[in-house]
Amino acid sequence: MRIEISGLTKTYRGGVAALDGLDLTVPTGMFGLLGANGAGKTTLMRILAGVVRPSSGRVTVGGHDLATGAGRTAVQRELGYLPQDLGVYPDLTARQFLDYVALLKGMDDRAVRRRRVGELLEVVALTPHADRRLRGFSGGMRQRVGIAQALLADPQLLIVDEPTAGLDPEERIRFRTLLSQFAGRRTVLLSTHIVDDIAQTCREVAVLAKGRLIFRGTADELVRRADGRVWSVVTDGPPPTEGTVVSALPHENGMRYRVVAADAPGPGARPVDPALEDGYLALTTN
Amino acid sequence: MTGAFAASLRYEFRMQVRKRSVWIVPALTLVLFVLIGGSLLRDLFDPAERPPEARTAVVGLAVQLHGLLAIGFGCLLADRLVRDDRLRVASILDATPAEPRARLLGKYLGAGAATAVPILVAYLGFALAYAVDSGGPGAIGWALVAFVVVFVPGLLFVAALALAGPLVVPAPLFRVLFVGYWLWGNVVPPDTMPTLSGTLVHPLGGYALTALLHFRGIDGEDTLAGPVSGATLNFLRPDPTPAVAVLSIGVLLALAVAVLACGHALRVRRAR
Repeated sequence: MRIEISGLTKTYRGGVAALDGLDLTVPTGMFGLLGANGAGKTTLMRILAGVVRPSSGRVTVGGHDLATGAGRTAVQRELGYLPQDLGVYPDLTARQFLDYVALLKGMDDRAVRRRRVGELLEVVALTPHADRRLRGFSGGMRQRVGIAQALLADPQLLIVDEPTAGLDPEERIRFRTLLSQFAGRRTVLLSTHIVDDIAQTCREVAVLAKGRLIFRGTADELVRRADGRVWSVVTDGPPPTEGTVVSALPHENGMRYRVVAADAPGPGARPVDPALEDGYLALTTN
Repeated sequence: MTGAFAASLRYEFRMQVRKRSVWIVPALTLVLFVLIGGSLLRDLFDPAERPPEARTAVVGLAVQLHGLLAIGFGCLLADRLVRDDRLRVASILDATPAEPRARLLGKYLGAGAATAVPILVAYLGFALAYAVDSGGPGAIGWALVAFVVVFVPGLLFVAALALAGPLVVPAPLFRVLFVGYWLWGNVVPPDTMPTLSGTLVHPLGGYALTALLHFRGIDGEDTLAGPVSGATLNFLRPDPTPAVAVLSIGVLLALAVAVLACGHALRVRRAR
Protein backbone atom coordinates (compact mmCIF):
# COMPACT_ATOMS: atom_id res chain seq x y z
CA MET A 1 0.00 0.00 0.00
CA ARG A 2 1.55 3.25 -1.14
CA ILE A 3 1.35 6.16 1.28
CA GLU A 4 1.15 9.70 -0.13
CA ILE A 5 1.50 12.59 2.29
CA SER A 6 1.33 16.22 1.24
CA GLY A 7 1.42 19.40 3.31
CA LEU A 8 0.74 17.46 6.50
CA THR A 9 0.54 19.60 9.61
CA LYS A 10 -0.38 18.69 13.14
CA THR A 11 -0.57 21.28 15.87
CA TYR A 12 -1.63 20.08 19.31
CA ARG A 13 -3.59 22.15 21.77
CA GLY A 14 -1.29 24.69 23.32
CA GLY A 15 0.23 25.44 19.94
CA VAL A 16 2.82 22.65 19.88
CA ALA A 17 3.55 21.91 16.21
CA ALA A 18 4.47 18.24 15.81
CA LEU A 19 4.35 18.18 12.00
CA ASP A 20 4.97 21.19 9.82
CA GLY A 21 4.01 20.84 6.15
CA LEU A 22 5.36 17.33 5.66
CA ASP A 23 5.52 15.88 2.14
CA LEU A 24 6.48 12.22 1.86
CA THR A 25 5.82 9.18 -0.27
CA VAL A 26 6.24 5.72 1.19
CA PRO A 27 6.36 2.87 -1.34
CA THR A 28 5.66 -0.83 -0.80
CA GLY A 29 8.32 -2.67 1.20
CA MET A 30 10.26 -1.82 4.35
CA PHE A 31 10.61 1.88 4.99
CA GLY A 32 12.56 3.37 7.89
CA LEU A 33 11.72 6.54 9.74
CA LEU A 34 14.42 8.22 11.77
CA GLY A 35 14.49 11.35 13.84
CA ALA A 36 15.30 12.71 17.27
CA ASN A 37 12.75 12.79 20.09
CA GLY A 38 10.06 15.31 19.22
CA ALA A 39 10.82 15.13 15.49
CA GLY A 40 7.20 14.12 14.78
CA LYS A 41 7.64 10.42 13.99
CA THR A 42 5.09 9.18 16.51
CA THR A 43 2.56 11.83 15.51
CA LEU A 44 2.97 10.84 11.86
CA MET A 45 2.43 7.18 12.73
CA ARG A 46 -0.62 7.96 14.85
CA ILE A 47 -2.11 9.95 11.97
CA LEU A 48 -1.45 7.09 9.54
CA ALA A 49 -3.07 4.67 12.00
CA GLY A 50 -6.17 6.87 12.14
CA VAL A 51 -5.77 7.46 15.86
CA VAL A 52 -5.06 11.20 15.53
CA ARG A 53 -6.47 13.65 12.98
CA PRO A 54 -4.14 16.05 11.18
CA SER A 55 -4.62 19.81 11.47
CA SER A 56 -4.20 20.19 7.70
CA GLY A 57 -2.77 18.44 4.67
CA ARG A 58 -3.70 15.31 2.82
CA VAL A 59 -2.84 11.67 3.42
CA THR A 60 -3.83 8.78 1.20
CA VAL A 61 -3.00 5.15 1.90
CA GLY A 62 -3.55 2.71 -0.92
CA GLY A 63 -5.71 5.39 -2.54
CA HIS A 64 -7.91 5.81 0.56
CA ASP A 65 -8.19 9.35 1.87
CA LEU A 66 -7.64 9.41 5.65
CA ALA A 67 -9.68 12.60 5.94
CA THR A 68 -12.87 10.60 5.45
CA GLY A 69 -14.38 8.08 7.87
CA ALA A 70 -14.76 5.53 5.11
CA GLY A 71 -11.14 6.03 4.08
CA ARG A 72 -9.87 5.59 7.63
CA THR A 73 -11.92 2.44 8.13
CA ALA A 74 -10.70 1.01 4.82
CA VAL A 75 -7.09 1.63 5.84
CA GLN A 76 -7.63 0.26 9.34
CA ARG A 77 -8.96 -2.98 7.84
CA GLU A 78 -5.53 -3.47 6.27
CA LEU A 79 -3.52 -2.08 9.16
CA GLY A 80 -1.35 -3.57 11.86
CA TYR A 81 -0.22 -0.98 14.38
CA LEU A 82 2.27 -1.28 17.19
CA PRO A 83 2.27 2.00 19.12
CA GLN A 84 5.29 3.29 20.96
CA ASP A 85 3.42 3.54 24.25
CA LEU A 86 2.03 0.04 24.11
CA GLY A 87 -0.44 -0.98 26.80
CA VAL A 88 -2.41 -4.13 27.50
CA TYR A 89 -5.29 -5.14 29.76
CA PRO A 90 -3.57 -6.69 32.78
CA ASP A 91 -6.63 -8.74 33.68
CA LEU A 92 -6.69 -10.68 30.39
CA THR A 93 -4.40 -13.50 29.36
CA ALA A 94 -2.20 -13.08 26.28
CA ARG A 95 -4.54 -15.36 24.30
CA GLN A 96 -7.65 -13.47 25.41
CA PHE A 97 -6.10 -10.09 24.63
CA LEU A 98 -5.17 -11.21 21.13
CA ASP A 99 -8.62 -12.74 20.67
CA TYR A 100 -10.23 -9.44 21.70
CA VAL A 101 -8.12 -7.39 19.28
CA ALA A 102 -8.74 -9.95 16.53
CA LEU A 103 -12.50 -9.59 17.03
CA LEU A 104 -12.19 -5.81 16.81
CA LYS A 105 -10.22 -6.26 13.60
CA GLY A 106 -13.19 -8.11 12.16
CA MET A 107 -11.89 -11.68 12.43
CA ASP A 108 -15.32 -13.10 13.16
CA ASP A 109 -14.68 -16.74 12.27
CA ARG A 110 -13.84 -18.37 15.58
CA ALA A 111 -11.76 -21.22 14.16
CA VAL A 112 -9.71 -18.91 11.94
CA ARG A 113 -9.21 -16.50 14.82
CA ARG A 114 -8.07 -19.18 17.23
CA ARG A 115 -5.66 -20.62 14.70
CA ARG A 116 -4.17 -17.23 13.89
CA VAL A 117 -3.80 -16.29 17.57
CA GLY A 118 -2.09 -19.64 18.21
CA GLU A 119 0.28 -19.13 15.25
CA LEU A 120 1.27 -15.66 16.37
CA LEU A 121 1.82 -16.73 19.96
CA GLU A 122 4.20 -19.30 18.52
CA VAL A 123 5.91 -16.69 16.32
CA VAL A 124 6.59 -14.41 19.29
CA ALA A 125 7.56 -17.39 21.48
CA LEU A 126 4.77 -16.86 23.99
CA THR A 127 2.93 -20.17 23.60
CA PRO A 128 4.02 -21.42 27.05
CA HIS A 129 2.68 -18.19 28.60
CA ALA A 130 -0.45 -17.86 26.45
CA ASP A 131 -2.88 -18.49 29.28
CA ARG A 132 -1.17 -16.35 31.89
CA ARG A 133 -2.59 -12.96 32.79
CA LEU A 134 -0.72 -10.08 31.22
CA ARG A 135 -0.35 -8.49 34.67
CA GLY A 136 2.61 -10.77 35.32
CA PHE A 137 4.36 -10.20 31.97
CA SER A 138 7.72 -8.44 31.73
CA GLY A 139 8.13 -5.41 29.44
CA GLY A 140 9.72 -7.55 26.73
CA MET A 141 6.91 -10.12 26.89
CA ARG A 142 4.30 -7.37 26.62
CA GLN A 143 6.15 -5.96 23.64
CA ARG A 144 5.93 -9.39 22.01
CA VAL A 145 2.19 -9.45 22.66
CA GLY A 146 2.06 -6.05 20.99
CA ILE A 147 3.93 -7.38 17.98
CA ALA A 148 1.55 -10.34 17.76
CA GLN A 149 -1.56 -8.13 17.86
CA ALA A 150 -0.13 -5.96 15.08
CA LEU A 151 0.24 -8.99 12.81
CA LEU A 152 -3.18 -10.49 13.60
CA ALA A 153 -5.24 -9.83 10.50
CA ASP A 154 -2.39 -10.32 8.00
CA PRO A 155 -2.14 -6.55 7.44
CA GLN A 156 -1.06 -5.02 4.14
CA LEU A 157 0.25 -2.00 6.03
CA LEU A 158 2.28 -2.48 9.19
CA ILE A 159 3.17 0.58 11.26
CA VAL A 160 5.61 -0.16 14.04
CA ASP A 161 6.83 2.53 16.41
CA GLU A 162 9.93 1.59 18.39
CA PRO A 163 9.11 -2.10 18.07
CA THR A 164 12.34 -3.42 19.54
CA ALA A 165 12.21 -1.34 22.72
CA GLY A 166 12.42 -3.71 25.67
CA LEU A 167 13.50 -6.71 23.62
CA ASP A 168 16.75 -8.50 24.37
CA PRO A 169 19.34 -8.67 21.54
CA GLU A 170 18.24 -12.12 20.39
CA GLU A 171 14.57 -11.13 20.32
CA ARG A 172 15.50 -7.93 18.52
CA ILE A 173 17.28 -9.77 15.74
CA ARG A 174 14.45 -12.29 15.49
CA PHE A 175 11.87 -9.52 15.20
CA ARG A 176 13.91 -7.66 12.58
CA THR A 177 14.07 -10.81 10.51
CA LEU A 178 10.37 -11.38 10.99
CA LEU A 179 9.62 -7.85 9.77
CA SER A 180 11.80 -8.26 6.68
CA GLN A 181 10.18 -11.59 5.82
CA PHE A 182 6.75 -10.13 6.44
CA ALA A 183 7.29 -7.07 4.25
CA GLY A 184 7.40 -8.74 0.81
CA ARG A 185 4.69 -6.98 -1.17
CA ARG A 186 3.33 -5.23 1.89
CA THR A 187 4.28 -1.85 3.34
CA VAL A 188 6.11 -1.78 6.65
CA LEU A 189 6.82 1.59 8.20
CA LEU A 190 9.41 1.24 10.92
CA SER A 191 10.23 4.06 13.28
CA THR A 192 13.05 3.62 15.72
CA HIS A 193 15.90 5.28 17.56
CA ILE A 194 18.01 2.21 16.92
CA VAL A 195 19.66 3.09 13.62
CA ASP A 196 21.07 -0.42 13.33
CA ASP A 197 17.51 -1.82 13.10
CA ILE A 198 16.92 0.39 10.06
CA ALA A 199 20.32 -0.44 8.58
CA GLN A 200 19.56 -4.16 8.78
CA THR A 201 16.06 -4.03 7.34
CA CYS A 202 15.22 -0.94 5.27
CA ARG A 203 16.37 0.01 1.81
CA GLU A 204 14.60 3.36 1.95
CA VAL A 205 14.66 5.86 4.76
CA ALA A 206 13.20 9.22 5.73
CA VAL A 207 14.57 11.49 8.43
CA LEU A 208 12.38 13.99 10.24
CA ALA A 209 13.48 16.97 12.28
CA LYS A 210 11.14 19.40 14.01
CA GLY A 211 8.18 18.08 12.07
CA ARG A 212 9.80 18.46 8.68
CA LEU A 213 11.36 16.07 6.22
CA ILE A 214 15.12 16.63 6.02
CA PHE A 215 16.04 13.50 4.10
CA ARG A 216 14.32 10.98 1.84
CA GLY A 217 16.28 8.37 -0.04
CA THR A 218 17.97 5.02 0.18
CA ALA A 219 19.94 3.91 3.19
CA ASP A 220 23.08 3.99 1.03
CA GLU A 221 22.43 7.63 0.13
CA LEU A 222 22.09 8.45 3.81
CA VAL A 223 25.38 6.67 4.50
CA ARG A 224 27.07 8.73 1.79
CA ARG A 225 26.09 11.92 3.62
CA ALA A 226 28.98 11.05 5.94
CA ASP A 227 31.55 10.33 3.21
CA GLY A 228 34.86 11.89 4.26
CA ARG A 229 33.40 13.00 7.58
CA VAL A 230 33.95 9.95 9.77
CA TRP A 231 37.17 9.71 11.74
CA SER A 232 38.86 7.34 14.10
CA VAL A 233 40.93 9.03 16.81
CA VAL A 234 43.07 7.24 19.40
CA THR A 235 44.08 9.36 22.35
CA ASP A 236 44.86 9.06 26.04
CA GLY A 237 43.75 12.64 26.56
CA PRO A 238 40.30 14.24 26.65
CA PRO A 239 37.76 13.26 23.98
CA PRO A 240 37.75 15.28 20.73
CA THR A 241 35.77 18.48 20.95
CA GLU A 242 35.29 18.85 17.21
CA GLY A 243 32.28 17.11 15.69
CA THR A 244 30.05 14.44 17.28
CA VAL A 245 31.48 11.42 19.08
CA VAL A 246 29.65 8.32 17.81
CA SER A 247 31.41 5.77 19.99
CA ALA A 248 34.24 5.40 22.49
CA LEU A 249 36.11 2.13 22.95
CA PRO A 250 38.93 1.37 25.37
CA HIS A 251 42.25 1.01 23.50
CA GLU A 252 45.77 -0.01 24.59
CA ASN A 253 46.88 3.60 24.10
CA GLY A 254 43.89 5.22 25.77
CA MET A 255 40.52 5.44 24.03
CA ARG A 256 39.49 4.99 20.41
CA TYR A 257 36.84 7.53 19.40
CA ARG A 258 34.69 7.40 16.29
CA VAL A 259 33.84 10.97 15.36
CA VAL A 260 31.65 12.56 12.72
CA ALA A 261 33.18 15.91 11.83
CA ALA A 262 33.71 17.99 8.71
CA ASP A 263 37.47 18.13 9.32
CA ALA A 264 39.91 15.85 11.11
CA PRO A 265 39.09 16.29 14.80
CA GLY A 266 42.70 16.13 15.93
CA PRO A 267 46.24 15.00 15.14
CA GLY A 268 46.41 11.34 14.19
CA ALA A 269 42.74 11.19 13.18
CA ARG A 270 42.28 8.87 10.23
CA PRO A 271 39.24 8.65 7.95
CA VAL A 272 37.09 5.51 8.15
CA ASP A 273 34.18 4.13 6.13
CA PRO A 274 30.84 5.58 7.22
CA ALA A 275 27.87 3.56 8.47
CA LEU A 276 24.18 4.50 8.53
CA GLU A 277 24.45 5.93 12.02
CA ASP A 278 27.26 8.22 10.82
CA GLY A 279 25.14 9.35 7.89
CA TYR A 280 22.25 10.12 10.20
CA LEU A 281 24.48 12.11 12.55
CA ALA A 282 26.16 13.92 9.66
CA LEU A 283 22.73 14.93 8.42
CA THR A 284 21.19 15.96 11.73
CA THR A 285 24.21 17.73 13.18
CA ASN A 286 24.91 19.64 9.99
CA MET B 1 -20.99 -2.71 14.25
CA THR B 2 -22.37 -5.87 15.84
CA GLY B 3 -19.00 -7.66 15.87
CA ALA B 4 -17.25 -4.84 17.68
CA PHE B 5 -20.20 -4.39 20.03
CA ALA B 6 -20.32 -8.10 20.87
CA ALA B 7 -16.54 -8.32 21.34
CA SER B 8 -16.45 -5.30 23.59
CA LEU B 9 -19.50 -6.47 25.55
CA ARG B 10 -18.00 -9.91 26.09
CA TYR B 11 -14.53 -8.84 27.14
CA GLU B 12 -15.59 -5.85 29.22
CA PHE B 13 -18.04 -8.10 31.05
CA ARG B 14 -15.33 -10.70 31.57
CA MET B 15 -12.76 -8.22 32.87
CA GLN B 16 -15.18 -6.48 35.20
CA VAL B 17 -16.90 -9.54 36.64
CA ARG B 18 -13.48 -10.94 37.61
CA LYS B 19 -12.60 -7.87 39.62
CA ARG B 20 -12.67 -8.76 43.30
CA SER B 21 -13.90 -5.31 44.27
CA VAL B 22 -17.04 -5.83 42.17
CA TRP B 23 -18.00 -8.56 44.64
CA ILE B 24 -16.39 -7.25 47.80
CA VAL B 25 -17.90 -3.74 47.72
CA PRO B 26 -21.58 -4.86 47.57
CA ALA B 27 -20.92 -7.66 50.06
CA LEU B 28 -19.37 -5.29 52.59
CA THR B 29 -22.12 -2.74 51.96
CA LEU B 30 -24.75 -5.34 52.74
CA VAL B 31 -22.99 -6.54 55.88
CA LEU B 32 -22.58 -2.98 57.05
CA PHE B 33 -26.22 -2.24 56.27
CA VAL B 34 -27.48 -5.21 58.27
CA LEU B 35 -25.19 -4.35 61.17
CA ILE B 36 -26.15 -0.68 61.38
CA GLY B 37 -29.88 -1.13 60.98
CA GLY B 38 -31.01 -2.54 57.70
CA SER B 39 -34.30 -3.43 59.33
CA LEU B 40 -36.09 -4.81 56.28
CA LEU B 41 -33.37 -7.34 55.53
CA ARG B 42 -33.91 -8.80 59.01
CA ASP B 43 -37.65 -8.25 59.21
CA LEU B 44 -38.20 -10.15 55.96
CA PHE B 45 -37.54 -13.35 57.84
CA ASP B 46 -39.56 -12.48 60.95
CA PRO B 47 -43.24 -13.46 60.48
CA ALA B 48 -44.29 -10.96 63.11
CA GLU B 49 -42.46 -8.03 61.54
CA ARG B 50 -42.46 -8.57 57.79
CA PRO B 51 -44.96 -6.81 55.52
CA PRO B 52 -48.13 -8.83 54.98
CA GLU B 53 -47.89 -8.69 51.18
CA ALA B 54 -45.11 -10.36 49.21
CA ARG B 55 -45.19 -7.50 46.70
CA THR B 56 -44.59 -4.88 49.38
CA ALA B 57 -41.83 -6.95 50.92
CA VAL B 58 -39.78 -7.57 47.76
CA VAL B 59 -40.38 -4.13 46.25
CA GLY B 60 -39.40 -2.57 49.59
CA LEU B 61 -36.29 -4.73 49.49
CA ALA B 62 -35.60 -3.49 45.94
CA VAL B 63 -35.84 0.13 47.10
CA GLN B 64 -33.43 -0.42 49.98
CA LEU B 65 -30.89 -2.44 47.99
CA HIS B 66 -31.08 -0.18 44.95
CA GLY B 67 -30.63 2.93 47.07
CA LEU B 68 -27.66 1.39 48.79
CA LEU B 69 -25.85 -0.74 46.23
CA ALA B 70 -26.14 1.72 43.33
CA ILE B 71 -23.58 3.89 45.16
CA GLY B 72 -20.95 1.17 44.91
CA PHE B 73 -22.14 0.35 41.38
CA GLY B 74 -21.42 3.89 40.19
CA CYS B 75 -18.08 4.06 42.00
CA LEU B 76 -16.93 0.69 40.60
CA LEU B 77 -17.70 1.74 37.03
CA ALA B 78 -15.99 5.12 37.29
CA ASP B 79 -12.64 3.99 35.88
CA ARG B 80 -13.90 1.87 32.99
CA LEU B 81 -13.71 4.38 30.16
CA VAL B 82 -10.73 6.42 31.29
CA ARG B 83 -8.67 3.35 32.06
CA ASP B 84 -8.18 2.58 28.36
CA ASP B 85 -6.10 5.75 28.17
CA ARG B 86 -4.48 5.14 31.55
CA LEU B 87 -3.44 1.61 30.53
CA ARG B 88 -2.37 2.92 27.08
CA VAL B 89 -4.59 0.38 25.33
CA ALA B 90 -6.70 3.05 23.64
CA SER B 91 -4.40 3.58 20.66
CA ILE B 92 -4.42 -0.13 19.78
CA LEU B 93 -8.22 -0.23 19.98
CA ASP B 94 -8.63 3.08 18.13
CA ALA B 95 -6.46 1.77 15.27
CA THR B 96 -8.85 -1.12 14.59
CA PRO B 97 -11.71 -0.72 12.12
CA ALA B 98 -14.18 -1.30 14.96
CA GLU B 99 -16.71 1.51 15.18
CA PRO B 100 -15.87 3.53 18.36
CA ARG B 101 -19.55 3.96 19.23
CA ALA B 102 -20.07 0.20 19.06
CA ARG B 103 -17.08 -0.33 21.35
CA LEU B 104 -18.40 2.26 23.79
CA LEU B 105 -21.85 0.69 23.83
CA GLY B 106 -20.32 -2.75 24.38
CA LYS B 107 -18.18 -1.42 27.21
CA TYR B 108 -21.16 0.35 28.76
CA LEU B 109 -23.45 -2.65 28.72
CA GLY B 110 -20.75 -5.25 29.37
CA ALA B 111 -19.09 -3.55 32.33
CA GLY B 112 -22.47 -2.35 33.61
CA ALA B 113 -23.98 -5.84 33.47
CA ALA B 114 -20.95 -7.35 35.21
CA THR B 115 -21.14 -4.79 38.01
CA ALA B 116 -24.88 -5.43 38.34
CA VAL B 117 -24.41 -9.21 38.71
CA PRO B 118 -23.66 -9.09 42.49
CA ILE B 119 -26.64 -6.76 42.97
CA LEU B 120 -28.90 -9.15 41.07
CA VAL B 121 -27.51 -12.11 42.99
CA ALA B 122 -28.03 -10.37 46.34
CA TYR B 123 -31.52 -9.16 45.50
CA LEU B 124 -32.81 -12.39 44.00
CA GLY B 125 -31.06 -14.33 46.75
CA PHE B 126 -32.91 -12.42 49.46
CA ALA B 127 -36.15 -12.60 47.48
CA LEU B 128 -35.78 -16.36 47.04
CA ALA B 129 -35.00 -16.85 50.71
CA TYR B 130 -38.02 -14.74 51.56
CA ALA B 131 -40.22 -16.75 49.18
CA VAL B 132 -39.10 -20.00 50.80
CA ASP B 133 -39.42 -18.63 54.33
CA SER B 134 -42.84 -17.07 53.79
CA GLY B 135 -44.15 -19.83 51.54
CA GLY B 136 -45.07 -17.25 48.89
CA PRO B 137 -43.52 -18.12 45.51
CA GLY B 138 -45.14 -15.01 44.00
CA ALA B 139 -42.35 -13.01 45.61
CA ILE B 140 -39.95 -14.23 42.91
CA GLY B 141 -42.17 -12.88 40.16
CA TRP B 142 -42.49 -9.51 41.90
CA ALA B 143 -38.74 -9.45 42.44
CA LEU B 144 -38.10 -9.96 38.73
CA VAL B 145 -40.61 -7.25 37.82
CA ALA B 146 -39.06 -4.87 40.36
CA PHE B 147 -35.59 -5.60 39.00
CA VAL B 148 -36.62 -4.74 35.47
CA VAL B 149 -38.73 -1.70 36.36
CA VAL B 150 -36.70 -0.20 39.20
CA PHE B 151 -33.11 -1.45 39.09
CA VAL B 152 -32.46 -1.62 35.34
CA PRO B 153 -33.38 1.97 34.33
CA GLY B 154 -31.65 3.40 37.40
CA LEU B 155 -28.49 1.36 36.90
CA LEU B 156 -28.37 2.16 33.18
CA PHE B 157 -28.52 5.85 34.05
CA VAL B 158 -25.87 5.51 36.76
CA ALA B 159 -23.59 3.49 34.46
CA ALA B 160 -23.69 6.19 31.77
CA LEU B 161 -22.92 8.84 34.36
CA ALA B 162 -20.07 6.79 35.81
CA LEU B 163 -18.46 6.14 32.43
CA ALA B 164 -18.69 9.71 31.17
CA GLY B 165 -18.19 11.64 34.42
CA PRO B 166 -14.49 10.82 34.88
CA LEU B 167 -13.80 12.33 31.45
CA VAL B 168 -14.66 15.67 33.01
CA VAL B 169 -13.33 15.28 36.57
CA PRO B 170 -10.78 12.78 37.92
CA ALA B 171 -12.31 9.42 38.85
CA PRO B 172 -11.70 9.75 42.63
CA LEU B 173 -13.38 13.16 42.66
CA PHE B 174 -16.20 11.82 40.51
CA ARG B 175 -16.84 9.10 43.09
CA VAL B 176 -17.16 11.67 45.87
CA LEU B 177 -19.47 13.85 43.77
CA PHE B 178 -21.50 10.83 42.72
CA VAL B 179 -22.13 9.73 46.32
CA GLY B 180 -23.27 13.27 47.11
CA TYR B 181 -25.52 13.35 44.08
CA TRP B 182 -27.04 9.97 44.90
CA LEU B 183 -27.85 10.90 48.47
CA TRP B 184 -29.15 14.32 47.43
CA GLY B 185 -31.27 12.91 44.61
CA ASN B 186 -32.77 10.04 46.57
CA VAL B 187 -32.61 10.59 50.30
CA VAL B 188 -33.21 14.30 50.86
CA PRO B 189 -36.96 14.98 51.42
CA PRO B 190 -38.33 17.33 48.71
CA ASP B 191 -39.79 19.79 51.21
CA THR B 192 -36.44 20.48 52.91
CA MET B 193 -34.42 21.60 49.89
CA PRO B 194 -34.54 21.39 46.08
CA THR B 195 -33.88 17.76 45.19
CA LEU B 196 -34.56 15.27 42.43
CA SER B 197 -36.41 13.01 44.90
CA GLY B 198 -39.90 12.27 43.67
CA THR B 199 -39.32 13.88 40.25
CA LEU B 200 -39.45 12.35 36.80
CA VAL B 201 -35.69 11.94 36.96
CA HIS B 202 -35.68 10.36 40.42
CA PRO B 203 -32.87 7.82 39.92
CA LEU B 204 -34.48 5.44 42.39
CA GLY B 205 -37.56 5.21 40.19
CA GLY B 206 -40.24 6.82 42.37
CA TYR B 207 -42.80 6.95 39.56
CA ALA B 208 -42.32 3.32 38.57
CA LEU B 209 -42.57 2.28 42.21
CA THR B 210 -45.73 4.29 42.80
CA ALA B 211 -47.65 3.92 39.55
CA LEU B 212 -46.48 0.55 38.22
CA LEU B 213 -45.78 -1.41 41.40
CA HIS B 214 -48.27 0.46 43.67
CA PHE B 215 -45.61 0.78 46.31
CA ARG B 216 -45.82 3.59 48.84
CA GLY B 217 -43.26 2.45 51.36
CA ILE B 218 -43.26 -0.52 53.72
CA ASP B 219 -45.98 1.02 55.83
CA GLY B 220 -47.89 2.35 52.79
CA GLU B 221 -47.61 5.98 53.82
CA ASP B 222 -44.64 7.31 51.84
CA THR B 223 -44.79 9.66 48.86
CA LEU B 224 -42.20 8.48 46.35
CA ALA B 225 -43.48 10.46 43.36
CA GLY B 226 -45.77 13.36 42.56
CA PRO B 227 -46.17 16.90 43.89
CA VAL B 228 -45.08 17.59 47.46
CA SER B 229 -46.56 20.48 49.34
CA GLY B 230 -43.99 23.23 49.90
CA ALA B 231 -41.37 21.62 47.65
CA THR B 232 -39.52 23.32 44.83
CA LEU B 233 -39.15 21.62 41.43
CA ASN B 234 -42.78 20.45 41.61
CA PHE B 235 -43.04 21.09 37.87
CA LEU B 236 -40.97 17.91 37.58
CA ARG B 237 -43.44 16.07 39.80
CA PRO B 238 -46.67 15.46 37.86
CA ASP B 239 -49.27 13.17 39.37
CA PRO B 240 -48.06 9.57 39.19
CA THR B 241 -49.90 7.54 36.56
CA PRO B 242 -48.71 4.47 34.66
CA ALA B 243 -48.12 6.63 31.55
CA VAL B 244 -46.04 9.11 33.52
CA ALA B 245 -44.12 6.22 35.09
CA VAL B 246 -43.23 4.88 31.64
CA LEU B 247 -42.30 8.43 30.64
CA SER B 248 -40.07 8.66 33.72
CA ILE B 249 -38.25 5.47 32.72
CA GLY B 250 -37.94 6.81 29.19
CA VAL B 251 -36.50 10.10 30.47
CA LEU B 252 -33.90 8.26 32.56
CA LEU B 253 -32.88 6.13 29.57
CA ALA B 254 -32.79 9.15 27.26
CA LEU B 255 -30.58 10.96 29.77
CA ALA B 256 -28.29 7.91 29.89
CA VAL B 257 -27.97 7.96 26.10
CA ALA B 258 -27.31 11.71 26.10
CA VAL B 259 -24.66 11.45 28.82
CA LEU B 260 -22.97 8.60 26.98
CA ALA B 261 -23.06 10.49 23.68
CA CYS B 262 -21.50 13.54 25.34
CA GLY B 263 -18.79 11.34 26.85
CA HIS B 264 -18.09 9.80 23.44
CA ALA B 265 -17.89 13.20 21.76
CA LEU B 266 -15.58 14.51 24.46
CA ARG B 267 -13.25 11.54 24.17
CA VAL B 268 -13.11 11.76 20.37
CA ARG B 269 -12.39 15.49 20.57
CA ARG B 270 -9.57 14.97 23.05
CA ALA B 271 -8.04 12.14 21.03
CA ARG B 272 -7.75 14.44 18.05
